[in-house]
Amino acid sequence: MKSPGAGSARQERRLEVVVSYTLLGLATIYALFPVAWMLSTSLKTEAEAFSLPIRWIPERPTLGAYVEMWTMKPFGIYFYNSTVVSGLTALLSTALGALAGYGFSRFKFRFRTTLMGFFLATQMISGVLVIGPYFQILAAVELYNTLTGLIIAYVTICLPFAAWMSKGYFDSIPKELDEAGLVDGASRLQIFLRIIMPIALPGTVATLLFAFLLAWQDLLWALCLISIDEKRTVTLGVAFAVGEFIVKWPMLTAASLIGSLPTLILYLALQRFYVEGLARGAVKG
Amino acid sequence: MPTGRTWHDRHLGPLFVLPATLMLAAVLIFPAAMTLKLSLTHEGGGRWSLALVHYLKAFRDPVLAQTFRNTFAFVALSLAGHLLLGLALALALNQALPGQTFFRLIALVPWTVPDVIAGIIFRWVFNPIHGCLNPLLQSVIPGFPANFSWLSSPTLAFPSLIFANIWRGYPLVMVMLLAGLMAIPRELYEAAAVDGAGRVKRFLHVTLPGLSTIILIALALDMVWEFRRFALVLTMTGGGPGTLTEVLSTLVYKSYFQFFTFEYASAIAILMSVVLFILSLPYIVLVGRQQ
Repeated sequence: MKSPGAGSARQERRLEVVVSYTLLGLATIYALFPVAWMLSTSLKTEAEAFSLPIRWIPERPTLGAYVEMWTMKPFGIYFYNSTVVSGLTALLSTALGALAGYGFSRFKFRFRTTLMGFFLATQMISGVLVIGPYFQILAAVELYNTLTGLIIAYVTICLPFAAWMSKGYFDSIPKELDEAGLVDGASRLQIFLRIIMPIALPGTVATLLFAFLLAWQDLLWALCLISIDEKRTVTLGVAFAVGEFIVKWPMLTAASLIGSLPTLILYLALQRFYVEGLARGAVKG
Repeated sequence: MPTGRTWHDRHLGPLFVLPATLMLAAVLIFPAAMTLKLSLTHEGGGRWSLALVHYLKAFRDPVLAQTFRNTFAFVALSLAGHLLLGLALALALNQALPGQTFFRLIALVPWTVPDVIAGIIFRWVFNPIHGCLNPLLQSVIPGFPANFSWLSSPTLAFPSLIFANIWRGYPLVMVMLLAGLMAIPRELYEAAAVDGAGRVKRFLHVTLPGLSTIILIALALDMVWEFRRFALVLTMTGGGPGTLTEVLSTLVYKSYFQFFTFEYASAIAILMSVVLFILSLPYIVLVGRQQ
C-alpha cells in the first residue's frame, strides 16, 4: 500500500532537487562570468579586445599579452616578494596564534577573559587607523620599503583571528589528552607540539590559508609601506599597472589572472580543510 | 589536579599568550594611540589639546557625512546580498546532490580573487563600449541602450559597486553557513519529520534556530570586513563619480596620502573606528557570553 504522504514527499524532494540545481547553475554563471570574460580578453590581441561588436571567444587565441606583461614589468620579482611575504606571514601568525590559542584554551590565569576580549576587539581595528603612524615608525627604524615591515604588519593583523580560531579548535580537543601527557611526564610545550598540534591540523591549515590569503590579497598596507618597484607585491604591481596599461586590457587582464592564480590553486586544493577548520574552530567556538 | 601544577600553569598560560599580545600592542595599539594624539593636534604639528578642532570640522563636513552614509549603505546592502546568496547556496550545497563538490569549488572562486583584481575585473565588465555587460543585457532586454556607462552614472555607480562587492564577498558567508548546516544533527530533522513537520516547518524550526548563532557571527565578521573594504572601491570607481561612491577607508587613505591632511585624516580614522566598535559590540558581547 502506498501512503499519500510518501508520494508528496517524493514530489517535494524532486522539487527540492530542481530548485537546488537551478540555483547552483545560476550561481555558477554569476561566479564565473567575470573570470571568463577576463580569460577571454587576456587571450586576445589589443586590436581584437577593442573590436566591435565584442567577441566572446577570441578568434585567434594568443599568449602574447602574457608574454608582454611579464617582460614589461618585473612580475617575477613581484611574485617572489608576494610569496615570501605571504608565506612567512602565514607561518608566523599561525605559530604565534596557535600558542596564544593554546594558552587561552588550556590555562586559567588572571586577566584571561580581559585579554581574550582585547584580542577580539583588535580584530575590529581597521588598517587606516594605524597606517599613518605605522608608516612613521617603520621609517624611523629603517624598515620602510622592506618586506620585513610588511610581514610584521600582516602577522599582527592575522593574529587575533588566528588566536581565536585555534582556541576554538583546541577547545574541541578533549583535555584528557593533555593530562595523559602530563602523567607521562611531558612538558606543556611538548604536549602542545607533539600531541595537540597534530590533531589540530585541519584548523591549523585553515588558519595558514586565511593568513596567506590576507597577505596575498592586501593592497592598503603595501601601497602605504612600499614605494620602490623592486619591493612591490603582486597586488601592488597590478594596481600600478592599471595606471600604466590603462588601455591595454589584454595585458591588464593577463596580469590580473596570473595574480589570482596562486590563491585560487591553494584555496581549491585546501578547501576541505578550510570548511572543516571553520566548522570546528570559528563556528562552534 | 595537584596544587603544584596549578601554580605552575598560572605562570605558563600568560607565557603562551605573551608573544601575540606584545605584537598586538606594538603594531596596533601603539600606532592607534599615536593616531588619537595626532587627531588632537593642531595642523602643522605643535602640542595636542582637547579643543577637538578636527572633530568639530568633521561634524560640519558634508563630504564626510556623505561618506558615512555611503559606507553604511555599502555595508548594509553587501551584507544583505551575502546573506541571501550565501544562505541559498549553502542550503543547496547541503543537499548531498551529485556534483555538489564541483559546485562548491566553483562557488568559492570569487573569494580567491584579490580585491584589487576584482575591482579591475568589474571595471572591464562594466566598460561602456568594450565591456561584456552591455552586450549581454542587450541580447536579453531588447532596446537596452548601447554604450551605457554604469560607473560614471550618478545613480548606477553605487549599485554597480555593490554588485561587484556581493560577488566578491558571498563565498565566505556561504562557507560559514555551510559549516553551520553540517553541524546540525540529522536526528533533529528526522524527529521533526516523524512529528509530521513539512519542509517549511523543518526549515523554520530546525534549520534557522540551529543556524542563528552562526548567522550572527558570519554577519558580524562580514560587517567588520565590509566596513573596511578598500582596494575594491579604490580600483573600481576610485570613489567617483565625484564622491558618490567614496567610503571611509578610501577617504582616510586619500586624506593621508593624497591631500596630506594628516591630522584631519586621523580624526576621521578615529571616528570610523569608534563607529565600527559600537556596531560590533553586540558581537563581542555574544562571543563573550559563549565563553
